[in-house]
Amino acid sequence: MEMILNFPCLCILLTMFSAIISSALNRRWARYLNTFVVTLVGILSAAVLMFTLTSGKSYVYQMGHFPAPFGNEIRFGSLEAGMALFFSVIMLLSLNGGREKIRMEIDPGKEKLYYIMINLLLSSLLALVYTNDIFTAYVFVEINTISACGMIVITEHGRTIEAATRYMIMSLLGSGLFLIGICILYDMTGHLLMEYLYTSISNIMAAGTYRIPMMVAIALIVVGLAIKSALFPFHAWLPDAYGYSTVSSAAMLSSLVSKGYIFLLIKLIYRVIGFEVFFGSRIINVLFVFGLAGMIMGSVSAIRENDIRRMISYSSVAQIGYIYMGFGLGTGAGMVASVFHILSHGATKSLLFVAAVGLTDASGGHKEFDELTGAAYRNRLAGAAFLVGALSMVGIPLFSGFISKLLFAQAAVQSQGKALAALVVLAVSTVLNAIYFMKTVIRIYTPTDKKYEVTAFGYKVSYAITLGCFILLNLLLGLFSQPITNWITQGLTILQ
Amino acid sequence: MNHILLFPIVFPILAGIMLLTVIKYQNRKPLLAYVGTVLGVNALWGLFAMFRVSEGVTVFYLTKSLPIYLKVDTVGRLFASLMVLVWLLGGLFSFEYMKHEKNEQRFYGFYLILYGVLFGLDFSGNLITLYLFYEFMTLTALPLVLHTQTKEAVMAGLKYLFYSFAGAYMALFGVFFIGRYAKTLEFTPGGVIDPSVFRENETLFFVVAMLMILGFSVKAGMFPMHAWLTAAHPAAPGPASAVLSGIIVKGGILALIRVVYEIIGVDFLRGSWVQQWWMILSLLTVFLGSLLAFREPVLKKRLAYSTVSQLSYILFGLSLFEVQAMTGSLLHIIAHVFIKVALFFTAAAIIYMTGCKRVEELRGVAKGMPVTMWCYTIVSLGLIGIPPTSGFISKWYLAEGALHTGIPVFSWLGPVILLLSALLTAGYLLPLSMRGFFPGEGYDAGRFAGKEPPLSMRVPLLIFAGLTLGIGLFPNVFTNILSAAADFLM
Amino acid sequence: MSRLWLCFVVVFPMLAGLFAPLVYRKKQEFFRAYLGISVLLNSVLVWLLLFHRPEAGITLFYFTGNLTIAFELDGLGCVFAGLVSFLWPLATLYSFEYMAKEEHEDIFFLFYTMTYGVTLGIALADNFLTMYCFYELLTLVTVPLVMHTLTREAILASRKYLCYSIGGAAFAFIGMIFIILYGSTTDFVLGGVLEPGKIGGKENILLLVYIFTFLGFGVKAAICPFNSWLPQAGVAPTPVTALLHAVAVVKSGAFAAMRVTYYSFGTEFLRGSFAQHFLMVIVMFTILYGCSMALKETHLKRRLAYSTISNLSYILFGVVIMTPLGLGAALTHMVCHAFMKICSFFCAGAIMHQTGRHYIHELDGFARRMPRVFAIFTVSAVALMGAPGLCGFISKWNLAAAAIDSGNVLAWFGIGCLLASALLTAMYMLTIVVRGYFPGEGFDYDSIADVKDPNFRMLLPLLIFAAAMFLLGIHSQPFVDLFMRVAQGSF
Repeated sequence: MEMILNFPCLCILLTMFSAIISSALNRRWARYLNTFVVTLVGILSAAVLMFTLTSGKSYVYQMGHFPAPFGNEIRFGSLEAGMALFFSVIMLLSLNGGREKIRMEIDPGKEKLYYIMINLLLSSLLALVYTNDIFTAYVFVEINTISACGMIVITEHGRTIEAATRYMIMSLLGSGLFLIGICILYDMTGHLLMEYLYTSISNIMAAGTYRIPMMVAIALIVVGLAIKSALFPFHAWLPDAYGYSTVSSAAMLSSLVSKGYIFLLIKLIYRVIGFEVFFGSRIINVLFVFGLAGMIMGSVSAIRENDIRRMISYSSVAQIGYIYMGFGLGTGAGMVASVFHILSHGATKSLLFVAAVGLTDASGGHKEFDELTGAAYRNRLAGAAFLVGALSMVGIPLFSGFISKLLFAQAAVQSQGKALAALVVLAVSTVLNAIYFMKTVIRIYTPTDKKYEVTAFGYKVSYAITLGCFILLNLLLGLFSQPITNWITQGLTILQ
Repeated sequence: MNHILLFPIVFPILAGIMLLTVIKYQNRKPLLAYVGTVLGVNALWGLFAMFRVSEGVTVFYLTKSLPIYLKVDTVGRLFASLMVLVWLLGGLFSFEYMKHEKNEQRFYGFYLILYGVLFGLDFSGNLITLYLFYEFMTLTALPLVLHTQTKEAVMAGLKYLFYSFAGAYMALFGVFFIGRYAKTLEFTPGGVIDPSVFRENETLFFVVAMLMILGFSVKAGMFPMHAWLTAAHPAAPGPASAVLSGIIVKGGILALIRVVYEIIGVDFLRGSWVQQWWMILSLLTVFLGSLLAFREPVLKKRLAYSTVSQLSYILFGLSLFEVQAMTGSLLHIIAHVFIKVALFFTAAAIIYMTGCKRVEELRGVAKGMPVTMWCYTIVSLGLIGIPPTSGFISKWYLAEGALHTGIPVFSWLGPVILLLSALLTAGYLLPLSMRGFFPGEGYDAGRFAGKEPPLSMRVPLLIFAGLTLGIGLFPNVFTNILSAAADFLM
Repeated sequence: MSRLWLCFVVVFPMLAGLFAPLVYRKKQEFFRAYLGISVLLNSVLVWLLLFHRPEAGITLFYFTGNLTIAFELDGLGCVFAGLVSFLWPLATLYSFEYMAKEEHEDIFFLFYTMTYGVTLGIALADNFLTMYCFYELLTLVTVPLVMHTLTREAILASRKYLCYSIGGAAFAFIGMIFIILYGSTTDFVLGGVLEPGKIGGKENILLLVYIFTFLGFGVKAAICPFNSWLPQAGVAPTPVTALLHAVAVVKSGAFAAMRVTYYSFGTEFLRGSFAQHFLMVIVMFTILYGCSMALKETHLKRRLAYSTISNLSYILFGVVIMTPLGLGAALTHMVCHAFMKICSFFCAGAIMHQTGRHYIHELDGFARRMPRVFAIFTVSAVALMGAPGLCGFISKWNLAAAAIDSGNVLAWFGIGCLLASALLTAMYMLTIVVRGYFPGEGFDYDSIADVKDPNFRMLLPLLIFAAAMFLLGIHSQPFVDLFMRVAQGSF
């Protein structure tokens, strides 16, 4: 079983090397390598997951020759392994679903660059998931940002360049704040490894000294990561970035990139700052309020959109609001709900983007709603998939969105004082979601006589398989959520 | 054995339904024969049933606590006998009158159905049966109002319908509460509610009583819900107006008697604000009705206002809760039926024979229609209250009863208003007679020549006039029976 | 009977509906027979189940935690399931005739039959979660029916319906969460499942949540101010408006309200609270609002839709009285009104189908040309008014008796509302009847020479409904007894 302990490190290294090697390959081979690597990472992560589930412990793995507290470490438990598996599955499916589009929209010369970016993205995500060192986390946060930007700008036209620039600016702002926070922490504690940080911080909090700098540091870290994960009101870059990039990028950005930062935040809360300190501070109230605001404002903006991709993007803002609301509730149940929503949203949002591209292609490439009337009849599978995604977003039982709602609501009721606000906003948000998603569903299912030039796109087998897998994933999360919730709860307890 | 009470109710209803749906007569003669036979047979059977059967019979249970129960008592016999007489004579009158209207078969169909429903109303033994037949009476009388299908008639019919239902539902509100608190829904003189229950929920029961009184008074055209009457009665064809003003409105009065005397009980209401308001409203209506009749140029509408006023005489008498006043009321019911039906028949005969509807057009009419106008004059005197007519006797009893009660203000105010109203009555009824008999200069002599209506129209008029005089001359027979009934009810 | 039949009667119509377009494509002649037999078979099975009730429920699967999808047939479910199953075959027969003139029959009957299964799912739901799931599903399967004619109005109406319904369910969801956390179980138990120990000092929050839940489910039952979807949904074909929006969908809303009040939160907890008073006021307002709007409305089907809004609040009035008598009265009106309203809608549909006339002023003199339809319409109008001898009186009587018995003075005003509403009902229903029979002097009957009675497929259901209204009016005792026993919990 020793072998398995090496897997996480192996995964990270594998992806990084794959990125380097891809620069020398031509585009077809770059794609094959990429697919191979992602699949392999998935399998390895699954193995680690099995292993950690049965043993129930979390393992520390030393990177390099220096032992703690001076060296670098990786740490993994069942939750991290599961997240890694999830990320690789979503990445695989997103790439598959958008494969034709990659071929169509990206310059042939640049295509392998795209795969390099993907590999870097996966490596940084894995690193964020596994790392136990706060500065390493920062480094990979930056790598993440760069690869995300690369993914947006790879389809070169005015909109994407503008989107990427905006993203870059906001993101770097977030990273900057994060870095300052880390520096302050390092200053005060002298440690970079998470466990040691935790001990130091608890001592400092107990002693009562450095209270204000500590709060400032925590605030900077949290706000920095919140900016990067598009919490309201720092979401302005999101609709452009998701709306105009190629569909695989959009899917991966919405499901993976922001979730990577959120997962890092969770790790920091449990392992560095400490549960009680975090929940005792006022930060969670701020997160709660912004989360609620995001839930409403995201949906309101979505209602006003006329472009289907941008509508789905604004919906992401609302969903990220859900996650931060979960943080803001200040209970363990709230964190479980948030983690579940990471999974649920990841699966659903990618599904929606991939389905949307099928619908727009069946309507002559138009993205406005007027042109999308009856699109579901032109591409039946994409229409059905979009329907599934929409129902999940609204929270219809049988789909994953319902379980998310259920978990959030139950967590809300158990928290003091915030219950009613959270529940009412949850209900209002459902209504708002219903308004724009159901309107779209009705529109795509309204038959029309207009003819569009339909590319054979939608009927490619790989596309169909991708959508099928997404739908299955959604149903899996919706119907068999009990084991998953158990895994999350167990994972969170050993996260610390 | 007691189930023979059902026959007079069911037989004409079925006969009427058949006439409306299945049977189609091409000629008038078989139609008239059919109607006449049904009317006659049912009258005989009805009279037989009501005088032979003395116990009640439960027909079926609408729900476990709501039996449909028939029982004949003195009041019921009174109303039923009046109704039978009017219906027979009205039928006779219609045979001639309906010659110049269309859709005759439809008219007779509903006339027969209404006949049966009214038997049901008069034979009702408990509150829910009364309510059931009351609602059906409203519904089945509607087509009679609407008969001519003119815009005016349809508007009048709808007005009648909605006012009637408003009243019925006000009363139903009370029925709900009575159903809950009373021991039984059967009509029992003195009331069916335990005095202790009354005392606990006094305000509630007063409100309930007031609502029921107002509700049923709608049918009797008491202010402020009288507007339907003056629209509906003129709009209906002649014989229908007569039975509407004569009998249908008495349905409301019957319901009031039953509810006030035999459900709620007079002892509870005596001296309360309910009684006061009832007296106020009825006196107001007496005066207002006469005043408006006085100013009305259209003959039938004038008679309708008169009905409004006269019915409130009866209501006033009922509101006094005193034996003599009650006797007066019951007597006035009889008197008014005969008088009002005769008056409307006169109006109908005039319209039928001459087509004139307004009073000013009728100068010298008595020259051409002497019998008609003599009967008119006699019954008019009766309505005004001049001896020796029935109207005089009833007004006498009413006034005496009022004075007897000793209720402050009302005991003298009542008779005063009755007197004023009598003067106004003279003012609105007699001009027709006077101008008819003594037209003065410059009238069209040939206009009304030879316009005496045929026998089938004259006979009912003569009978009613005769009865009016007869009751006036030999009142004791009636007053004894009615006094006994009034006594029994208290 | 075995418990598996509970599952079967819910799933079978859904599957039958799913396969309907296939049958249509392969063998069109058998299409109607296929549908008729499936629906009839299912109804027979349901009635067999009512008489041989399985002892316990059946759990289909476990959702998460201790939440399950389970079916059971208790007294309340019996009444609703029995009602729905009795009406569906008749409505299907009527629809065959009606849809013969419309397009896309196969898609229509797909969703129509699926709705049958889903409605039974609501009736047979053993716990809150099951009912909630099927409730959401009901919205989804009925939207295509509303949208069927695909005109702009239909699409707007379906959008409104969808958003209102999902919104309502979202607020009812809050109630479900609270029951999960504060109740001993999510099952439906007469008397409620809230545990006093768990409630602690949180009564007011729970009452507020109850109001949300009631109003949330009330959206489907067209409570003010969330009822504007119902008249607009009148644009759907008449079989849809009649069965769904007078029987299945709206009664599901009322049924859910009953479950929440009597079987989840429990009347002991709710009676006398501000929640009860607040809801009673809203219900009374809706009763009057529906009637007043009906009076102003000149489009025949929309008038009947407003009448439905008002009558549904009669049922809700019985529910918020919060006594066993109240529940029994509410059930009585649920059944009686279903018959009266479906009859009126079917008559209206027959008129629209035969003549294409939609507005009331176009119906003058029709009674002579369509005597049977008009006669039955008159019967349903008199029944809706509440004349004794027909079923409307019985349910009004029971509602009033329950209100008086409860001793709640606000409820007494409610009786006044009921009666005012009865008067308004008389006005807006009888004017149609009067105009039909007495169209005014000099009416030219030749102008409506094309009008005639429909054939037996439409007339037979109408006759059955008219007979039912009489039967329920005269011989209501066994039914009312049954409903009262259900309300007491002894059925």
